Amino acid sequence: MIEFITPMFLALIVGGTTVGIIFGAIPGMTATMAVAICLPLTYSLGLENGLALLLGLYVGGISGGLVPAILLGIPGTPSSITTTFDGFPMAKRGEGEAALRIGIVASLVGGLISLFVLYLFAPTLADFAIKFSYVEKFLIILFALTVMAALSTDLLLGIFSGVLGVFVALIGVYDISDGGNGKHRLIPPGMEYWLDSGFSLLPVLIGLFGLAAILDQAELGVPKGHTADELKVGKQSRFKFSVFKGQGTNLVRSSLIGTFVGILPGVGGSAASILAYSNAKTFSKNAKNFGKGEPAGIIASESGNNGLTGGALVPLLSLGIPGDSTTALLIGAFTLQGIQVGPLFIGNSPDTWNAIIFAMLIANIAMFVLMYFAIRYFALVVTVPKHLLFPIILMMCVIGAYTINYGIMFDVWTLLIFGVFGWLATKLRLEIAPFIIGFILGPSAEVYFVKSLESFGDLSIFFTKSWIAGVLWVLILGSLVGSTLLSRRARNQDVSH
Amino acid sequence: MGDLTKVVIDFEQSHLLFPRLVATVLGLLLLTILLRDRKRILNAGQTWRITLNRMDKPRFFGAIALTLMYFSCMVPVGNVWPNTGMGFLLCSVPFVFCVGALFMHDRPKRALGVLALIAIVGPTCVWWLFTNPFYLTLP
Repeated sequence: MIEFITPMFLALIVGGTTVGIIFGAIPGMTATMAVAICLPLTYSLGLENGLALLLGLYVGGISGGLVPAILLGIPGTPSSITTTFDGFPMAKRGEGEAALRIGIVASLVGGLISLFVLYLFAPTLADFAIKFSYVEKFLIILFALTVMAALSTDLLLGIFSGVLGVFVALIGVYDISDGGNGKHRLIPPGMEYWLDSGFSLLPVLIGLFGLAAILDQAELGVPKGHTADELKVGKQSRFKFSVFKGQGTNLVRSSLIGTFVGILPGVGGSAASILAYSNAKTFSKNAKNFGKGEPAGIIASESGNNGLTGGALVPLLSLGIPGDSTTALLIGAFTLQGIQVGPLFIGNSPDTWNAIIFAMLIANIAMFVLMYFAIRYFALVVTVPKHLLFPIILMMCVIGAYTINYGIMFDVWTLLIFGVFGWLATKLRLEIAPFIIGFILGPSAEVYFVKSLESFGDLSIFFTKSWIAGVLWVLILGSLVGSTLLSRRARNQDVSH
Repeated sequence: MGDLTKVVIDFEQSHLLFPRLVATVLGLLLLTILLRDRKRILNAGQTWRITLNRMDKPRFFGAIALTLMYFSCMVPVGNVWPNTGMGFLLCSVPFVFCVGALFMHDRPKRALGVLALIAIVGPTCVWWLFTNPFYLTLP
C-alpha cells in the first residue's frame, strides 16, 4: 500500500514545493504556470512520482504568493490579493517577518483542513457519482459551466467563454472509441491532417497560462524587478504563536470557505481568499483594524487560499471536473499516464489515491518547514530579474508542448495560437477559466448528450430521468438566477453611489 | 407535446448534432452580447488605440516576432542533424539571449554576460536532460 513512498517520491514533493514557492513568490508567475512548464518532466517519472512533483508545485505555488504580497504589497498570485491588505501595512511597521510567519502557519492549517475534507468527501462523492447515467453526467457538466459563468465578472461573457471552449474542443474527429461515427467536423480546409484529433489539451493550457502571461508582462514593458533593499522584512517584532489565540474560528471558517470555493468548478483562489477575508472582517470585533495591519486578515486570506488546494481536487478526483485552472493541468498528468479521472478513479486506483493524499500532506508540511525557517532566503527570490526567467520559461513551454504527443511541431504552434488568444481574450473581457473548463469537458459533454438522446430518443429525458436530474436543474437555474440578481444589485448600488 | 420532444438521430450525421447545437447557442449569446454592449463595441476603436498607445510595442511585438522565428527555424535546423535535438539546442541559445536582451531595461556588459551564460547553460542542460535521462526526441 505504501510502495510509492520512496526517497525519490519524497524528494520530488520537496523539490516541487520549493520550485512552487519560487514561482508563487515572483509576481506575474503562478502555480498554474509552474505546473504547466513542469508537466513534461512527469513523462518519465511515472504517475505517483509525477503527481508528487505537481502537487508540490501546486501547494508551494499557492503559498509562495504571500511573500511579495506582504513584503512589497504586490500579490505574487491572484489568490494572495487580500494578503496585501493587512500584510503590507504590517511590513511597513517593521513587522514583515512576523506577518510572513502568520501567513505561513495559516497556509498550513488551511491546506491540512482542506486535505481532510478531500480525504473524507471525494470517495463519498465518487461512490454517489458512479450511479450517474449519461443524462446526469451531462447535467453535471452543464452545472459546472453555469457555476463558473455565474462567478465570472460578467455572467454573459462567462457563459460565452465556456461555450466557446466547448466549441473549440469539438474541432476534429467524432471519435469511434467514444461511440462516434469517425467523421470530421469544424476543421478548416487543408487542416485535416493537423487537426484530426483537434487541439491537444496541454499545448492549449501551456499557451493560455505560460505564453499569455509573458505576453501580458511584455505588453507592460516587463516591469523592472525589485531590489533587496525594497523588501520590508523587518526585525522590530518577533513572531509569536500567541497571535493565533482567539483565531481558531477564523482559521477553521476561512479554511472551509476556501475548501468549498475550491469544490466549485473553475472559481479559483482569489474568490476563496476574498470570501474568507470579507467573512473574517464581518465577524471580527476589530473590523475597523482590517486593512491597517490586522493579523486576523492575513490568517483569513492565507488559510482561505490554501484551503482551495484540497477542495479543488474533490471534483477532479470524484467527477473528473477540475476545480481550478491548476487542477485542470493535473488532468494532463493523468492523460500522459493513460488514466482517466472520474467516479471510478478512486476505487480502481487506490494506490494513486493514497499517493495523492500522502503527497498533499507532505507538500503542506514541506511548505511550512521551508517557508517558516528559510523565509528570508525565499524573500530574495522576488529580486530575480524577469529578463533571465522569462526566456527560460518560454523555452520550457516549447519543450512541454512538443513532447506531450511524442514530438509534434503543430502542438508548438498551438501553444503560440492559444498564447496570443489568451492575451487577446483578456482584452475582449472573455473569461479564461470557463473557456478552459469548457474546452476540457466539451468532448465528454458531447458524448453524454448524444448518447442520452440515442438511448432515450426524447429531449424530456434530461428533466425526467431521475430526481438527481431535477436537483441538478434547480442548481443550474439557481446559480444563474442568483448571479443575475447579485449583479443587478451591485449595478444598482453603483448607480446610487 | 410528446412528439415535439422526440428526437431521431441519424448515425451518419451524428457528428454534427452537438456542434450545431453549440454553434447555435454561441450565436445567440454573441447576438445578446452585441445588443447589450453595442455602445462599448462601437467605441472599441478608442479603447484599442489607448491599449496600443500604452503598450510597450518593441517588447510585445519583438517577443512575438522572436517566438515566430524560433518556432520556424527549429525544424529546418533540426533536419540538418536528425534525431539529435540540435534544432532545439541551436535555436534556443540565441532565442533565450535575444528575448532576455529585449526584456532588459539597461544593458551593461556584465548583465549581458550573465544573460549569455544563462542562454548557453539553460538550453544545454534542458537538452541533455530530455535527450539522455528522459529519452525524448527534440526537434
